Amino acid sequence: MIYFDNSATTACIPAAVEAAKKYMTERYFNPAAAYAPAVQLEKDVSSARAVIASNMGADPSELIFTSCGTESNNTAIFGSLKAMRGKGRVIISAVEHPSVYEAAMDLKEQGWDVRLAPVDITGKVLLNELSGLLSPDTRLVSCMHVNNESGAVNDIDAIYALIKRTAPECLLHVDGVQAFMREAPVRCDMYSVSGHKLHAPKGVGALYIRKGVHVKPYLLGGGQESGFRSGTTNAPSIMAFSAAVADYSEHRAEYREQILAVKKRLLSDLSRIRDVKLNGPDIDHAAAHILNVSFMGVRGEVLLNALSEKGLYVSTGSACAAHKRGRNRILNAMGITGERQDGAIRFSFSHFNTPDEADRAAALIEEQVNILRRFRRR
Amino acid sequence: MERVLLVRYTEIHLKGLNRPYFERALVDNMKRSLRGLEPRIEREHGRIYVRGIAEENFGEALDRLTRVFGIHSISPAVAVDKDWETVVSAALELMEPMVSERPNATFKVLARRSDKRYFMNSDMINKELGGRVLDRFPTLSVDVHKPEIKLSVEIRDMAYIYCDEIPGPSGMPTGTAGKASLLISGGIDSPVAGYMMAKRGLTLSAVHFYSYPYTSVRARDKVVELTKLVSKYAGEIRLFLVPFTDIQMTIYEKCPSKETTVLMRRLMMRIAERIARSEGAMALITGESLGQVASQTLEALCVTNDAVSMPVFRPLIGFDKDEIMDIARRIGTYETSILPYEDCCTVFVPKHPVTKPKLDELRASEAAVDFSEMIEKAIENTELMIVR
Repeated sequence: MIYFDNSATTACIPAAVEAAKKYMTERYFNPAAAYAPAVQLEKDVSSARAVIASNMGADPSELIFTSCGTESNNTAIFGSLKAMRGKGRVIISAVEHPSVYEAAMDLKEQGWDVRLAPVDITGKVLLNELSGLLSPDTRLVSCMHVNNESGAVNDIDAIYALIKRTAPECLLHVDGVQAFMREAPVRCDMYSVSGHKLHAPKGVGALYIRKGVHVKPYLLGGGQESGFRSGTTNAPSIMAFSAAVADYSEHRAEYREQILAVKKRLLSDLSRIRDVKLNGPDIDHAAAHILNVSFMGVRGEVLLNALSEKGLYVSTGSACAAHKRGRNRILNAMGITGERQDGAIRFSFSHFNTPDEADRAAALIEEQVNILRRFRRR
Repeated sequence: MERVLLVRYTEIHLKGLNRPYFERALVDNMKRSLRGLEPRIEREHGRIYVRGIAEENFGEALDRLTRVFGIHSISPAVAVDKDWETVVSAALELMEPMVSERPNATFKVLARRSDKRYFMNSDMINKELGGRVLDRFPTLSVDVHKPEIKLSVEIRDMAYIYCDEIPGPSGMPTGTAGKASLLISGGIDSPVAGYMMAKRGLTLSAVHFYSYPYTSVRARDKVVELTKLVSKYAGEIRLFLVPFTDIQMTIYEKCPSKETTVLMRRLMMRIAERIARSEGAMALITGESLGQVASQTLEALCVTNDAVSMPVFRPLIGFDKDEIMDIARRIGTYETSILPYEDCCTVFVPKHPVTKPKLDELRASEAAVDFSEMIEKAIENTELMIVR
């Protein structure tokens, strides 16, 4: 098996599994309980919070744990707006993940003035376009740090500065699910992350809320997470998340180099095939772990099926069927349409991948692309 | 007092001496459909009574019966002793919840008396019972033409009282018309075609072609799921999954590109016919609708037909896409059909398929390649799945 779909989810590292296991079987207490072992557990969770916060350049008090990236995004968007009076404008980038996009569409239905900030062909937000959309009544901008389809990296610090200059009251939320630990920390008001994209288990995420930013809780109850997010603390997953972050932090440069090597190798191998187009930024400007290319004249889903049969797991840029072409919202927004959209495949890597896997993958792809191109629509 | 389901059936009364055969088949299908709910099913005077269903399963039983072909309508009824006061109090009790929901409704009593020895005739029952209802619920009023509540009383071995008449799917009992094989894709039309022919009493088997490895496991699961949805009406379906990639690739490599779709369909028909025969099926069923796509023009259908000797039933031939979609929604297959996976018909498609294929040309194209071995191999590697 060659797993090149690490933007979808990643394998847990043993340290994360061990941590989770320990807090499921030995230290399974409810940290809100009053007895000594529970109090100890509460301290463990605090230290996990500190590990993750420090890697975000944040204070532990600015971090709340959630169940996933989607919850973090929803909490940030709905929670911050709920804490404001009246309605105004909300801007999201045109290529946001559904957990931001659908939330914004819901706001639109509620009467908010929702605008989509255009992106360039690599998927990066166009600063001058964003600047044009920023009105004095803009309450929130939500913009992803790294685009999950193309690997484009937004200049969040520049966006933050732009916003604070034109609409000082406006908040900036950043979906950092694909960027956390892979890119340097940025300045913003809220930042969402998720454990399972970083070799921790599914079911845990976190949201950074800058001190002074007011967010209303999404879940009400026992008042955990300083009242921001009620629900029994998911200690096993939180401890695993922290273990995974600690590991990544320790090996960051090394992992990045490994991942980049795999990506470079795959791209150079694929350049042997004619009519392959890179979607997203040049290799040096993109996130190291994401590579999106179009195999012209081949339908991505058909290629994906054939590759999956050979044990190579990738993702299509597009959920297209013959009768549902051109429906990929992200690629459409990037201006990648028609045959190029149909043929798009996203590869995403982790430090478990090797250049040898890239070679083998490229050979499989070349073989299948050649077969499928014989049957392209004539 | 006992709760029963009173089932009326359709066309079966038209069948002279065969009538008991159809009735028995209907009762058997009802039994199968109600498996696990321990019903007692009795047939009597052109009606079928379902008794013995536990109170908590009543809704479930009703739901399942609305999918049994041959049933015209179903009324959940109470059966009581024919003693008049008992009849009246049961009728009032049945009306109670409806009146509290619509206190100013109009109503009418509709009595039928098959026990001619009963001391009142239908008219008298209507008047008497109508009066008693008005005494009890003075806010109601009578409307004999368009009543909102129809209180029916049937005096038979017992008195049966009911207000609702829930439509069944009509048609003929499944299994009374023989066997046919449905060519099922993953689309909207073929499950509807299968439903419609099962409704005419056919037992279905199904044949699906897939392009491994270019179509996904999800596409295949989707077809199994669609077959399952059809089987809720049609009963158990034997589903044959035929690997079709080699044949498709050969067609694409060796035959004129614009003819590929029609040639593909001819070969599918051939294989389906072989499977159908081995199953004892006497006809094929397709979801084709005249002019819907290039392979469904009159010319293309003639060319497709030419590949087989069995009759090919195309129940949707005169339907618009909208009409087909409406039925798909009603029978519950639509949402599954529209899941967007590549299927064997979309993996390899020519840009400009011929819309008016000429039979002799197509025959010649097909004859130029020896498909017989590939057909044998496809049939040999066909997988059978029992879907119920």
